[in-house]
Amino acid sequence: MNVELRSQLRTQIKQLDSISTAPAILQPLLAMLRLPPDDIKVEKVVELVSYDGAIAAQCLRLANSPLFGRRETETVRSAVMALGLERVRSMLLGLCMNRVIPRDKWVIEPEAFWRHSLSCALITQRMAQKIEYPEPEKAYLAGLLHDLGLLVNSVLYTEEFRECFRRASEEHAPLHVIEEEVLGFTHGESGQMLCEHWGLSKELADAAGCHHHVNLLPTAGPLACLVRLSDLLCRMRYLGYGYEEIMGIDLGGDAAWQTLTGTYPALKTMDLARFTLDIDGSMEEIVGTVDSVFGVKRIAAPAAT
Amino acid sequence: MTKDDTMPIEIAKAKPAVSLESNPGDPAYVKIRDLIYGISGIYHSAEKLYLLISRCARRMTALGVTSPAEYLEHLTTRGNRTTELRLLLNEITIGETYMFRHPAQLDALRNVILPEILERKDYVGLKRLRFWCAGCSTGEEPHTLAMFLLEEKDKLLAGWTWDLLATDLNDNSLQTARAGVYGEYALRNTNAEMRRKYFNDAGDKKLQANDLLKAQMHFDRLNLSDDSKMVFQKGLDVIFCCNVLIYFDLVSKRRVVQHFYADLLPGGYLFLGHAESLFQVDDSFRLVHFTGTTAYWKPAAAPAGGGKK
Repeated sequence: MNVELRSQLRTQIKQLDSISTAPAILQPLLAMLRLPPDDIKVEKVVELVSYDGAIAAQCLRLANSPLFGRRETETVRSAVMALGLERVRSMLLGLCMNRVIPRDKWVIEPEAFWRHSLSCALITQRMAQKIEYPEPEKAYLAGLLHDLGLLVNSVLYTEEFRECFRRASEEHAPLHVIEEEVLGFTHGESGQMLCEHWGLSKELADAAGCHHHVNLLPTAGPLACLVRLSDLLCRMRYLGYGYEEIMGIDLGGDAAWQTLTGTYPALKTMDLARFTLDIDGSMEEIVGTVDSVFGVKRIAAPAAT
Repeated sequence: MTKDDTMPIEIAKAKPAVSLESNPGDPAYVKIRDLIYGISGIYHSAEKLYLLISRCARRMTALGVTSPAEYLEHLTTRGNRTTELRLLLNEITIGETYMFRHPAQLDALRNVILPEILERKDYVGLKRLRFWCAGCSTGEEPHTLAMFLLEEKDKLLAGWTWDLLATDLNDNSLQTARAGVYGEYALRNTNAEMRRKYFNDAGDKKLQANDLLKAQMHFDRLNLSDDSKMVFQKGLDVIFCCNVLIYFDLVSKRRVVQHFYADLLPGGYLFLGHAESLFQVDDSFRLVHFTGTTAYWKPAAAPAGGGKK
């Protein structure tokens, strides 16, 4: 991306707040995301969740879904306690993101987007646990946010991005390759800028920014590598953007894998075929959770209140 | 060979004369287990011994034998031992599956694997492909592949010829595969067009593969643990060995996989069953992810076309 385009995009992203339909809790939530985990207060989180009826309902649904242990929680407070503060914090951001873009600006099917983001979050976290990465909850958040740029591109460059998506689906090609051609930048780069604008940590911003840019991985750190690998895995397991990409991927030969094994030797003891099988096993649950929690048809009704 | 997910059904059908609970710890079963392992590489661990016992039970019923010790004699010292061993192996390796069970494998072949292999072979002017279904059971997999190849004959494979070898250890399975007569279960995923083009009515709600389809396949009995035979399978492009190695112990599995590696041309692919992994079995192959499936790739000296990204 050239310098002019970069500064233009940065300006547009700053204006995004005013044109978006983000819920009122987004700003206080972002402030809370900048706090270290130990400084988050239960009461504050419960208050945030309860502020918006639709979000509170979604939060309960998520806490009760099989993915999160199928708990039978009826109050916001018990849902928050059951899920853990950090998880609720990431989850809330996901629920807010869902409304950051107006209904008519979605280019990718919202269901496909949420399936991809949520599955990527879960897989990034699982992989983080496998390799003994110290902050699996942060890995979850990085996975959830890695494609924020798709929303940015949908809002700011709706028509051009629609064209990117159409071509990528037709050619069964990776979306970021076509974005580079048509827009001059990828959703990774625009997502990174939004993360920065929102004041999220550099690691999270880099994970969004570098997941399609192999040459940047060694300096971006382990989160970006983890996100890249789980993004690829999702896309090869019907959890991509809603169209089929034609390719064969040698994950073990990928730059992200190579970079990670340097810092996390536990990766070498990971049975990738078995790991993929586990993902296949959880796919139904992921899809079910997304459909009940983020499903646009169900969301539309309470959101109007 | 046996497909794991159908096993419980097979056991249910077995109605063993010898109760499964009566004597699972009988040392004769352990000896039979070791005997089967020595011959076929198929190993029944302590948790899987009940499977072996139920298979033995069927043969014991057929022979009118009541004790495992007596059956062991039939397998080791009696004059009929060679025949009986073969019959028991047939029981152990029986299985049911259906055609077009893994469409994602065919998509990967059509979209990525074959274009890659064709490009490389075309370069050296060798317009022939070799496929092998190792452990083809009752033939559903090779029939699927044969239909797939015929469907691509004038498209992707225009100007190309192929061999499709299908082998199994089980005589009964091979007989079924050669006859090519299938019921609704085997054809559940086969659409009307495929049925019309490649099958004839065989009565009794069954269909039989027509001559065109049959001509695509060559069936043979092969023991994957027989090293002397395994070394002769050469120049392969793609090997299918789905849900066969799950019955092998690590040592035998490793040996079979090493044979597969040697038998494949550089750039060739090995498909295993959905739940199988070569992790800690073999690290010469590279695991490649495709949409909805995975395969093992034998690296080519020079990376091929659009394959790995």
